[in-house]
Amino acid sequence: MTETVGRPWVRADARAKVTGQAKFPGDFGMADMVHAKILFADRPHARVVSIDTSEAAQVEGVVAIFTAQDVPVNEYGLQTADQPVLCGPGSGKPGADVVRFVGDQVALVVADTRAAAEQARGLMEITYEDLPVVSDPFEALKPGAPQIHPGREASELHPELSTEGNFICHHQIRKGDMEAGWAQADVVVEGQYHTPGQEHAYLQPEAGLAYIDDEGRVAVVVAGQWAWEDQRQIAHALDIPVEEIRVIYPAIGGAFGGREDMSVQIVLALAAYRLQRPVKITWTREESIRGHCKRHPMWFRCKWGATREGELVAAEVQVVADGGAYCYTTNKVLGNTTITCTGPYAFPNAKVDVDGVYTNNPPSGAMRGFGAPQGIFAAEMQMNKLAEALGMDPVALRMRNLLQDEMPTTTGTPLAGGVHLQEVTERCALAAGWERAEEGWRKPAAKGVALAGRPKEAMRTGMGMAVGFKNVGFSFGYQENCWLRIELRGEDDIERAIVTIGTADVGQGAHTVLQQMAAEALQVSMERVSLEASDTGTSPGSSGSASASRTTFMAGNAIREAAALALDGWREGERPAVVEHTYLAPETTPLDPDTGEGFPNFAYGYVAQVVEVVVDVETGELRVRRVVCADDVGKAINPEQVEGQIEGGVVQAMGWVTCENFIAQAGRVLTPHLSTYLIPTIADVPERMETIIVEKPDPRGPWGARGMGEMPFLPLAPALLAAVHDATGVWIDEFPLTPERVLRSLRDGGSLLECDWE
Amino acid sequence: MLPSFELLMPETLPEALEMLAGYAPDAMPLAGGTNLVPDLRGGKRRPGVLVNVHGLDALQYIGRQDRYVVMGAGVSLADVLESELIGAHGRVLQEAARVFANPLIRNRATVGGNLGNASPAADTVPPLLVLDAELKLASAGESRWVGLEDFFVDVCDTICRHVELITAVRWLVPPPRTFSRFRKLTLRKSTAISVVSVAVRVTLGESGRCVDAAVALGAVAPTPIRVHEAEEVLRGEALTPEVIDRATRFACTAASCIGDVRSSAAYRERVTDVLTRRLLAEAQEWSEEQWERS
Ligand SMILES: Cc1cc2nc3c(=O)[nH]c(=O)nc-3n(C[C@H](O)[C@H](O)[C@H](O)COP(=O)(O)OP(=O)(O)OC[C@H]3O[C@@H](n4cnc5c(N)ncnc54)[C@H](O)[C@@H]3O)c2cc1C
Repeated sequence: MTETVGRPWVRADARAKVTGQAKFPGDFGMADMVHAKILFADRPHARVVSIDTSEAAQVEGVVAIFTAQDVPVNEYGLQTADQPVLCGPGSGKPGADVVRFVGDQVALVVADTRAAAEQARGLMEITYEDLPVVSDPFEALKPGAPQIHPGREASELHPELSTEGNFICHHQIRKGDMEAGWAQADVVVEGQYHTPGQEHAYLQPEAGLAYIDDEGRVAVVVAGQWAWEDQRQIAHALDIPVEEIRVIYPAIGGAFGGREDMSVQIVLALAAYRLQRPVKITWTREESIRGHCKRHPMWFRCKWGATREGELVAAEVQVVADGGAYCYTTNKVLGNTTITCTGPYAFPNAKVDVDGVYTNNPPSGAMRGFGAPQGIFAAEMQMNKLAEALGMDPVALRMRNLLQDEMPTTTGTPLAGGVHLQEVTERCALAAGWERAEEGWRKPAAKGVALAGRPKEAMRTGMGMAVGFKNVGFSFGYQENCWLRIELRGEDDIERAIVTIGTADVGQGAHTVLQQMAAEALQVSMERVSLEASDTGTSPGSSGSASASRTTFMAGNAIREAAALALDGWREGERPAVVEHTYLAPETTPLDPDTGEGFPNFAYGYVAQVVEVVVDVETGELRVRRVVCADDVGKAINPEQVEGQIEGGVVQAMGWVTCENFIAQAGRVLTPHLSTYLIPTIADVPERMETIIVEKPDPRGPWGARGMGEMPFLPLAPALLAAVHDATGVWIDEFPLTPERVLRSLRDGGSLLECDWE
Repeated sequence: MLPSFELLMPETLPEALEMLAGYAPDAMPLAGGTNLVPDLRGGKRRPGVLVNVHGLDALQYIGRQDRYVVMGAGVSLADVLESELIGAHGRVLQEAARVFANPLIRNRATVGGNLGNASPAADTVPPLLVLDAELKLASAGESRWVGLEDFFVDVCDTICRHVELITAVRWLVPPPRTFSRFRKLTLRKSTAISVVSVAVRVTLGESGRCVDAAVALGAVAPTPIRVHEAEEVLRGEALTPEVIDRATRFACTAASCIGDVRSSAAYRERVTDVLTRRLLAEAQEWSEEQWERS
């Protein structure tokens, strides 16, 4: 019986959010609370020589000013603790006196009112000694370049992290015999590509409230993606036991990866702990854009070969990623880039080199797709160019080369959980108008378009396609896990099922889906399930991060296993029946440092898209007329939410490719407002958006579900660029496609990417 | 954070003007606040006193007076969009209203605020320039009409004195057989500042030739500008490709574009060319239709 799973339940949080009753971190307040403001470095690279707080401290209402010397262990970071909590002298941590990007935090000013805190912040006297700035990753790798993190130590946990120069990490793949591969290739396509950074632009800028709770713990109410990990890092910096920190996530106004790394958590906890008083902070949009990480900008150099018949024989890909000032999740992000940059294809011979580089730009970190959108972009650009070079239909070329069950990837092992790349490609192409004729696949002819006020001869239409895949979960040897607790109450029947779990609902609707799965597993109605989530005070175990498209898969499996155990107890008469359980995902292995061999992931999702555009070749403006997206989600636990994720992912990707233009110059952010960093509005969304939900179950997914939150993001960029090529005859190898860039590329016959690859 | 200021809430226009006079130069009028509030937050302006003129009855009308279309400065962009009178006699302005910001902003933003703010990219200005609009500037006990072209001095600087308020905008009802259109290029489809904007008005005579013409550009100079040289070229001529080309070149010459985060100077020049040329070509098509009809 499936009563709750697979149905479009209205989201549990819908009413509260629509009526404004849902409380986000910025909505919390307490009597006796004080207000904090962070003094940001506002310069990309400098040594803090001295900090004079005397004038600021005079401002009426100032309660305290915290600087580096007040932080017990002045370091934090998800993968490696390379970032000071507060930059400045006196903390005892080597290198913590250096600011490495404009958003580095130098001091926390706490006062009775926000106005007083802001005024005092303006009176802080910081003496800086500016250091040379490096904002180009290629420059950063040259001998004599300014060093961002000199003297760092090797990491036992993450051997791919480098200690050399400005290298953050390196991944590589060596498969087959490249010489033999090139010898077989009748056609070789070479390309260089650049993908830009991207701002998460979540609705709610960073905010939080920290206080001492009833049990004497430092409680931090904040928006994040992995409460347990926040708790660990806060405790580390404050040098107090983890149990004395409590992290609570109320409603979260979007995350998209941007809340995986911390923002206000540690300084808030520090202030509340020291003052033993509630402390509140709210960032402005400008602080948010300057203060948190971005998607990794990447540069690609690719050489792919195929036989005349269209069989892929060799791929060589070199990638440089700007990691910005701190590591954040760069090593993990680039793991995904490593396995996606040769696309979802069976290459017998492959050579891949991926480097992450420190610069003085804002740190790069997690963002929807986590390194895969960049990799897929380069791969699918290559694939579409190969189709052109071979005179083959792009669908036909893909159908010939797409990975299938049991075929080894570049890491030497097959994709886990069933491979349905051909299904999504076929469904998408057919829906978009492709014909499967006797002689093969045939793309539909482009239809013209008339737009008022624009001459017909300047309007060009085109259609392009691309395919994507991505792993579910972090893995690469990391043992993915998810803790939860189920309590069944009642006498004869289960009257109430309480599911306690750490998993964050970052706005994607996770909690509704968890409730559905719990109701299904326990065979009770939705109303009888209540969720207690996202509070380390009630969830001592880690349920993992709400990222990597992993939540439904991981929490769903945890629910299934725990529900079975709880029902056993219930049947044996336990009242209440209580189970605490940790689901362990199938084991994976890291990539071999020399060959890249390994079994990096236990689950994947698959997606194909067709995009239609119209380009005004006189102004360079473009409009997305139609997007068709076929996404294998395994099982749509909540079809309406799946559709929402697909549409949202497409629009967010479209923003990345078209209008979002994050500009940093010599480490300084020139687009710190939403009036200059333009995200798509409702008027920009594709005129037609068709979603095709493909349900090919993952045998290990809960009810067959795969992760899906990131997949719709993946193929949009290359599909859109292929459509532009179809419309204009020009390949543009970089974006965002501002009208100016489009026009310039049309004039120059393409992109003129100049990088110093040596 | 919003800095502190005193907010005065006059109930009548004379009261508002008295308040401005009383607190000048430290007072500023507040209309829809869609420019002023972000500017206050960003520290760009620091007036001690704001005089709220939003919703004053005396500034809220659109009507016909003799040969003029007249509207109060407090009219919102949404009002402009809905007005049949403006549709009939100032289509160019209505076109600008249609692509102005988004529905939310249009409900609050006023024409007076758009003019008073004096952004080089203000979207009501090129249309009002080609309509030869005049503004009424009033202070306690006095008022004067000034031509819009004489109103702007520099980026965010006008001849409006601290004690003065823009109270009305008017233009002569254009003669029959007048074509007027507006186009702007933006970096997304809604809620975006003009990279370049162009307004064109052409009036045809009996012969089908152009007897009067006006071309205005936004976002290509410190203030929106009229391009009189282009108008000279058009006047008395049939709109042939050659005439359009010459007029367009004058428009490009008149533009003194700068580069910023939105666009390079070179791209602005290019767009000035394309948009001007397109609008004139559209005028030409329209004039042919007129000719066929008569
Ligand atoms: C999201 C967004 C999108 C926008 N999009 C556009 C757009 O597409 N096109 C565009 O042109 N603008 C745009 N703007 C800018 C702004 O909305 C307009 O300039 C608007 O017309 C300003 O009018 P207001 O009534 O809000 O003026 P306010 O902000 O109240 O005032 C603006 C200035 O004018 C002065 N002022 C107000 N009324 C008078 C008066 N009667 N006499 C003299 N001075 C006066 C004020 O003192 C102030 O200096 C946008 C703004 C935002 C926030």
